[in-house]
Amino acid sequence: MNSPSTSAGRAVVPAPTAAVRDRALFVNFFKRELNTRYLGSVSGFAWAFVHPLVLLVVYHFVFTTIFRTTGFGGQSFLAFVAVALWPWLAAQEGIQRAATSLAGYAGLIRKVAFPHELVIYASVTATLALQLAGYLVVLLALVAFGEPIHLEGLLLALPLWGVMAIGIIGVALFFAALQVFIRDVEHVLMPGLMILMYLTPILYPLTLVPEVMRPWVALNPFSWLVSRLRDALLDGKLALEWGDAVAVLVAMAIFFAGRWIFRRLSPYFEDFV
Amino acid sequence: MSTEAAGAPLLSLEGVGKDYAKVESRGGQVRLVWDLLRGHGAANVFRALDDVGFTLERGQSLGIVGENGAGKSTLLKVVAGVIAPTRGRVQVNGRVGALLELGSGFHPDYTGLANIELSAALLGLSPREIASKREEIVAFADIGDHINEPIKHYSSGMVVRLGFAVATALRPDILITDEVLAVGDESFQKKCIAWMEDYLAEGGTLLLCSHSMYHIQKLCRHALWLRDGRVVREGAAMDVTQAYLAFHEEKSAQARQPMGAALAHAAGVYAVHSLAITPEGSLTLGETLSIRGEIFSPDGRAPVVLLGVVRADGTPVYGVASDMEGVALRPVGDNRFAFGLTLPGLALLPGKYVVRAHAMDPEGVRLFDNVERAFVVTGASREMGFVRLPHTWHDTD
Repeated sequence: MNSPSTSAGRAVVPAPTAAVRDRALFVNFFKRELNTRYLGSVSGFAWAFVHPLVLLVVYHFVFTTIFRTTGFGGQSFLAFVAVALWPWLAAQEGIQRAATSLAGYAGLIRKVAFPHELVIYASVTATLALQLAGYLVVLLALVAFGEPIHLEGLLLALPLWGVMAIGIIGVALFFAALQVFIRDVEHVLMPGLMILMYLTPILYPLTLVPEVMRPWVALNPFSWLVSRLRDALLDGKLALEWGDAVAVLVAMAIFFAGRWIFRRLSPYFEDFV
Repeated sequence: MSTEAAGAPLLSLEGVGKDYAKVESRGGQVRLVWDLLRGHGAANVFRALDDVGFTLERGQSLGIVGENGAGKSTLLKVVAGVIAPTRGRVQVNGRVGALLELGSGFHPDYTGLANIELSAALLGLSPREIASKREEIVAFADIGDHINEPIKHYSSGMVVRLGFAVATALRPDILITDEVLAVGDESFQKKCIAWMEDYLAEGGTLLLCSHSMYHIQKLCRHALWLRDGRVVREGAAMDVTQAYLAFHEEKSAQARQPMGAALAHAAGVYAVHSLAITPEGSLTLGETLSIRGEIFSPDGRAPVVLLGVVRADGTPVYGVASDMEGVALRPVGDNRFAFGLTLPGLALLPGKYVVRAHAMDPEGVRLFDNVERAFVVTGASREMGFVRLPHTWHDTD
C-alpha cells in the first residue's frame, strides 16, 4: 500500500527495502495461518486430509448407491467428482477464511504500518497449500484403489491450481475489504458459495445441463477450471487450448480488480476493523 | 518518494489533516464504501487532525501535549504510517520505531519468542537479523523462562517489557512513543529512562506523547500542544508545557463561578459576593496590587475572608486569612461585608497568576466559596522561580 489516491501521501526510506520486509512478513503470516488453524487440536494437520476424504465417501455413497447417477461416459464417479470437488473446496475455504481474516490482525492493523493485503495473500495461499497437499494424497489414494487417474495430468493440473489461486486471491481481496465495513458479507458468502457450487458442473457433467443453459454455466470460470482438470487427470490430455490463455487473463483481471478495490479501502481499515 | 538529501529534516509534516468517517445510520456503511471506492472520501466526517505542520531535525526531540481526544494518538499514527493522512504531506527520512500501546501488536497465542519474530518482521528485519538480535531482546526484556510461554499468560508488565525490548533493539532513527513510560516496575522504568537518555545522547530522535509534563520536560527540548486536532502552540518544551498547564488551571477556574448572593442566601452559606483587583489583569514587576471585595453572610455575622495568590498552574505562592491577623470585615448592609488588601511592591516574577478569595464562616473553620481573578505580571527578568526574594551579593569586586 503506497500512498492513497488523494494528494496526501507519505514518503519513507526505510533501512531494509520494502520488498525484503514484505517477504519476511508474508512468511511470518503464512506460518501463523498454518499454525493457528490447527493449534490446540489433537490430531493437527490430519484434519486437512480427513475432512474432504469423508466428504468424498459420502458423495460416493449418495450418488452411486442411492441415486445411481449415470451418464458419465463409463467413467468412475468417484474419480470424476474427486478431481473437481477438491479444488472447489479449496476455493471455497480460501475465500471464506480470507474474508474474515483481517479481524484476526486487528491489533496489528491499528498499531503498525504494513501492507494489509499480505494478510489476504497469506490466508489464501495457506489454505490452498493445505488443500493442494490433500488433493495430491487423495489422487494417490484413488490410483492405489485402481481408479483411472492419469498422474501425468498433474503437469497441467498444478498450473491450473496456480491460475485458480490468482483468481481466488482477487475475489478474497474484494470480500475481505468489504467485510471490514459491512459485517453482512460473511453471512451472504456461505449460502452464495453453496449456490455457486451446485451451478458448477462439479457433481454432474456439463452434458446433463439442458442445452439452453449450457452457455451460462460455461461462463462460470470455475466450469472452465473443472473441465480442464478432468481433461488432464481423467483423460490424460495435456495439450493447451486458446481458452487457457483467456482464463489466465480473466484470473489476472479478477486479481487486479480485487486488489484495486482493496487498496482503495485499506487506508480506512484502521478505524473499522 | 524522495531519497534523503543531506540536511533534509528527519521528519516533516505539512498541512496534515485526517478525517474519520462517521457512520450513523444502518446501511451507512454501504454508502461509505461506495464513496470511498469512487475516491470521494467519506461524506460525513470527524476532523481528528487539521493543518498540522512541523519539522523534526535529527537529534531533536518533540513532546506532544493535549487533552484526551485532541488528536495526539492520531498524529503519532500518521507519523508511524499506520494511517494515511487525508490531506497534506508526511515526509520521513529514516527508520521509524513506534511504541504505540506496547504489546498490542503481539499475538496472544504465540510465545514470547514467536512474537519477537513477528514484531521484528514488522519492523523490517530479515530472518538473519532477527536471529542476531534475539539474544539482546531476550536479555533486555529480562522475563526469564516466560519467554517460551504464550503471551496471554503474561502479566501486563511483562508484555510491556517485551514490547519495549523489541522496539528498541533496532535503534530506530525516530522513536515514537505513547504513554508507555508509566508502566512496568520501578527498576524497569529506570532501565527504560536510562535507555532513552542514552538513545537521545547518541543523537536519537524522540517523538513523545504524554500527559506527564515531567517526562516531556525531561526528555524533550521542543513541544507541541494540540487542541481539537490543531496546533495551539509550538516551541520550547518548558514554555509549551507551562502554557498548557496554565490553560488547564484557567479552565477549571472558569468552572468555579461566584455563587451569587441570591443562590448563597437560598443555600444559607457564606459566599464571595464580589472580587476585584487593581490594576486589572496586568501589572509590572514591583507594582502594587490591591484586592477588594465583599462577602455575603447568611446570618449577618461577620465572616472571615481567605485571600491567596497562586500561579496559573496551581502552585500556591502566598495565602492569608483575615482572622489570622485579627482583622474584622466592615458591614455594608444587606448581610454583605467588605474587605480590602494591598500588596505593595509585589515581588512576583513575570508569569500568569491568580488571586483567589474564599468565604469562610465567622469561626474561620469551614471554607465555602471560591472566586478567582487572573492577572499577568510583565517585565524583563531572567531570574528563575516565581518570587524575587530580597537579596544582596557578598564578597564580590
